[in-house]
Amino acid sequence: MNKEFSIKEAAILLDISIQTLRRWDKSGRFIAQRKKIGKVSRYYYRENDIEDLLATNFPSLLKVAKKWALDSAPPELPRRFYCPDSSIFKARLSGFEYNLSQDPKLAKIFPLIVAVTGEIGNNSFDHNLGNWPDVPGIFFGYNLNQKEVILADRGQGFLKTLQRVRPSLSDYSEALKVAFTEFLSGRSPEKRGNGLKYVREVVLNYHFKLFLQSGDAFLNLSKRNKTIKINTAQNFIQGSYTLISY
Amino acid sequence: MIIELKKFGQTLTSREEGREAFAAFKPTLNIISDRESVEIVFTDVNTLSPSWADEFLTPLFKQFGKRLILKETDNLSVSTTLSTLEKVHQIKFVRN
Repeated sequence: MNKEFSIKEAAILLDISIQTLRRWDKSGRFIAQRKKIGKVSRYYYRENDIEDLLATNFPSLLKVAKKWALDSAPPELPRRFYCPDSSIFKARLSGFEYNLSQDPKLAKIFPLIVAVTGEIGNNSFDHNLGNWPDVPGIFFGYNLNQKEVILADRGQGFLKTLQRVRPSLSDYSEALKVAFTEFLSGRSPEKRGNGLKYVREVVLNYHFKLFLQSGDAFLNLSKRNKTIKINTAQNFIQGSYTLISY
Repeated sequence: MIIELKKFGQTLTSREEGREAFAAFKPTLNIISDRESVEIVFTDVNTLSPSWADEFLTPLFKQFGKRLILKETDNLSVSTTLSTLEKVHQIKFVRN
């Protein structure tokens, strides 16, 4: 069933004002549906219209993902970008793989894009299964023209996950550094913890770019930015937020 | 014995599925004789990630060691995954 968003709900989700939405409607940029209740005509938006807007407008998609990861009361995501469990993520990852494989310029590297996306997305599920603090699942969106992928979760974050195997870790900055440099698993005693080292290897060797934030710590990784340098963010993400450019 | 990974899927990324694939295939491994080699063929696999491979190839390596032979492929996700697993476990896969 196609969910309906009121103009207020749409404004909150897209992180813009109601006035902007009305302006977009007037100019034809993003047209609202109208419903007559008695004598009053009300604006509303169909879920798939919002999804289509986000699929083509990358800045809006980024905004929605970041807001969902940051807010203490996150808005309900349109279903096209929300994977409540790993089976839905797997299906969408296969769709993403198919789309990438249609671009002859990506023939060589599309398996790496999918593998990196899969590692980060599956990590969210593996480390938070049964322990999601509030909303389970992940945000997964991409824009083929921009060559960017966004993944976000509202899980326990890198610090809490890694403290299970290294209780001495005291902040997110340290946790992020360990996650990208040491072979250590957050699901001890299972032998894990190689996914992010693989991600790092791919990013450095194949001209990808990676932004990842968990808690108040973030890193930017690229061929030009080889060293793992952790920075402090102004905002706080309880789980993780990742942007991959390829 | 030849194991064609495409029979497990074209997108092999999660630990859960790697573990499931190994569990499902384990009974078949019992018929392999002591001298027989196990060849892994990657043809028609689109994506292989270290998480899936660690649940499937690592236990095979533990069981068969040098009798496990990984067929060469030009798929970058496969080659990068194999070198990651070699670093993690400090092992060397036989490739052919």
